[in-house]
This record gives sequence, C-alpha cells and structure tokens, in this order.
Amino acid sequence: MNLVLRLSSALLAAAVVHAASLSIQNPQFKITAPDASQLRSESLSLAEKPEALSLGPSDVLKLTFQVVESEERKGVQPHQTFLRFYDEATGEEGVQPVRVTPGGKAKFELNMARPPTSLPPTTSDPLKVSLILGSSTHSPVQYELFDLYVPASQPPPAHPDEVAFAPRPEITHTFRPEQRIPAKAVSAFFALFVFWPWIVLLGFWFEIGPRVPHLFSPHILPFTASLAAFEILLFWYWVDLHLGQILLYGGILAVPTALAGKQALAKTSEWRLGRK
Amino acid sequence: MAPKTAPSSGTSNSFQSLLKSYIETTSSRLKLIDVFLLFLMLSGIIQFAYCILVTNFPFNAFLAGFGSCVGQFVLTASLRSQVNPANRAEFKDVSPERAFADFALGSIVLHFFVYNFLG
Repeated sequence: MNLVLRLSSALLAAAVVHAASLSIQNPQFKITAPDASQLRSESLSLAEKPEALSLGPSDVLKLTFQVVESEERKGVQPHQTFLRFYDEATGEEGVQPVRVTPGGKAKFELNMARPPTSLPPTTSDPLKVSLILGSSTHSPVQYELFDLYVPASQPPPAHPDEVAFAPRPEITHTFRPEQRIPAKAVSAFFALFVFWPWIVLLGFWFEIGPRVPHLFSPHILPFTASLAAFEILLFWYWVDLHLGQILLYGGILAVPTALAGKQALAKTSEWRLGRK
Repeated sequence: MAPKTAPSSGTSNSFQSLLKSYIETTSSRLKLIDVFLLFLMLSGIIQFAYCILVTNFPFNAFLAGFGSCVGQFVLTASLRSQVNPANRAEFKDVSPERAFADFALGSIVLHFFVYNFLG
C-alpha cells in the first residue's frame, strides 16, 4: 500500500516535471456568406484580439487550429476542448465541445442559419469567444480568441418558477382606516336627543298614575328587590366583572329570586282571584 | 274644496274616535305597558336614525342599544298580549303572573346579552 502510494506520487511528480504546456498553432477563421463568397479570412494572433467578428443571419464561421505541445510543436489531442461563448452584459454563456483529431487538428463551424443549441441567447452585445483546453497530462490553457457579433436572438424564455427564486416585493400590511368619529356637538346632541322618549314615558306614566298598593308589602318587596339586584349585578358585570363571575353570582342570585318570585306571584294571583 | 276637506276631517274624526275609545276602554295597566312600548319604539328609532345618518362607529354599542330596544319591545308586547283580559280565551293556561315571570326572566337574559355587547 505504502509502496503503491509512493510509486504513484513519484509518477505524478515525473508527470508534472514532464508536463509541457499546450498551445495552438495556425488558428484561422473564415467567414463565408450564404452564396459561398468569402467575407473575411484571417489568422488569429493569440497575443492580441482581432477586430470583432460579425456574422449575418446566414453567414458561416469556420475556425481551424491545431493543438500542439508548446516545445516540440507536435500535435496532441487534449482530453477536453471547448469553445466558450460568453455574453458579459447578460451573463449568459454557452459551451460547445470541439472535435480534435489525434493529430491535434480541430475544425469548428458555426452556421448562423442553423445555430447550435449551445449558443447562448444573444442581444446586440458581442459574445466573447474563448478556447479552453484541458488535459490530464498537460496544464490547462484558456485563450481569448475574439469578440463575435451575431444577430440578436429571441430573449431567453423566463422559467415559470423564476419569480419564486427572486426577492419578492416587501410585504406591507394595510390596515383599515381609522373610524371616523363624528363631531362632538353632533354626538352630544344625539346623546341628549335619545333621552326625550324618557320624558314621554314619565309624562304619560304620571298622567296614568298607576297604583302600586302592594309594592312595599313583605310578599312583593323581596321579588322586586331581587329583580333590581339582578339589574345591578348586570351593570356591575358591564363595569368590572368577568363572565365566570357573573355566571356564578347570577346563579346564586337566581335561587332567592325564583323563590321570592314564586311567593310574590302566588300572592298576587290570590289577590286577583279574591278581588274577582 | 269641500270633497277634499271631507275625507281629511273624516280621517281625523276616526282617529280621534279611535284615540277616545282607546283612552276610555283600555285599563290603566295596559296603558302603562303601551306607554312603555311607545318609549321603546321612539328610543329604537332615534338610535337607528343616528346609525344611518351620522355614524355606526361604536357598532357594538349600536347593536346593544338597538337590540335592547327591539328585544324589550318584543318581550313587553308578548306580556301585554298575555295579560290583556280581551285575550283571556287565547291564553287560558297562562295566568298574568306566569306571563310576568316569563317577562322578568326574558328581560334578565336579554339584559345579560345587551351588556355583553355593550363592550
């Protein structure tokens, strides 16, 4: 186990020492119109970006290069070769794998009449095109090749759930507006006005002059007193008491009231029948 | 002109005779109840008018006040119909005392609910 580890680490160290960096040779691009006429054909310099390329709606871009080891100029096939199209303005990007022959030769064709699905949604901004080479035996390389103008595409479709992953508008509570309180004079007027039926009531009662000959008789008084006590209790409930208390006190008071009521009403009935 | 005044004087005559017969034939106890009914009706109308015209702002208080008027009116009206000697045949089993006991119990329960609403 230990031996294997040491051996593999030695091999790895050897590989790192051996690792020559990758490079590309003869990068060239060619833009052709649909009628096969050549619009532009240039060699690319890795040190300096060329003037931005622009493609019409049915132009074809051809890109050729050879991947080589930098010292020996021998073509190699890296394990991974990608062209990355990146829109800096929108952050959209697309990555397109490129087929490389064992000799290191690569050819990529971008036909704008049938754009590949890896091409990101585009606007009028340029795409930055870069070449990414990856290999297990070489250190990785990335070259900025050129800027590319392509015709604007449809805007990218919004994902139906996208809203849910963005910050939502802040929740604000809306409260019912404060109740409008009428002018003091109006409510005071009505507060007084609501008392005038009392004048009617008391006036007519005085006029009728009911006789209550038995009001203070010992048979009747307990009943009227307990009824009055009930009303006082209810008023007290409004002012101070809780529901449990009023039920308890009311229950207690109900017993004498019922007894007094029975006695008083029996007596009244007696008087009524006796008078008849 | 004459035909116009005739009906109005006729209605006022009939109204006066109605009032007169009411005053003459109704017992003073029933009048007592009737005045109380009138009082309840006026109070209820005033409260309702305030609610409609001005505001229903403490709505629970309006409910309590108006409900107490209406409820008390109903209880008192049923008391009146039960103790009225003219309805004796209608309420053979209900003595006036029984009617008053019902009235007292109903009133206490009603007032309990009214105070609950008063808040």
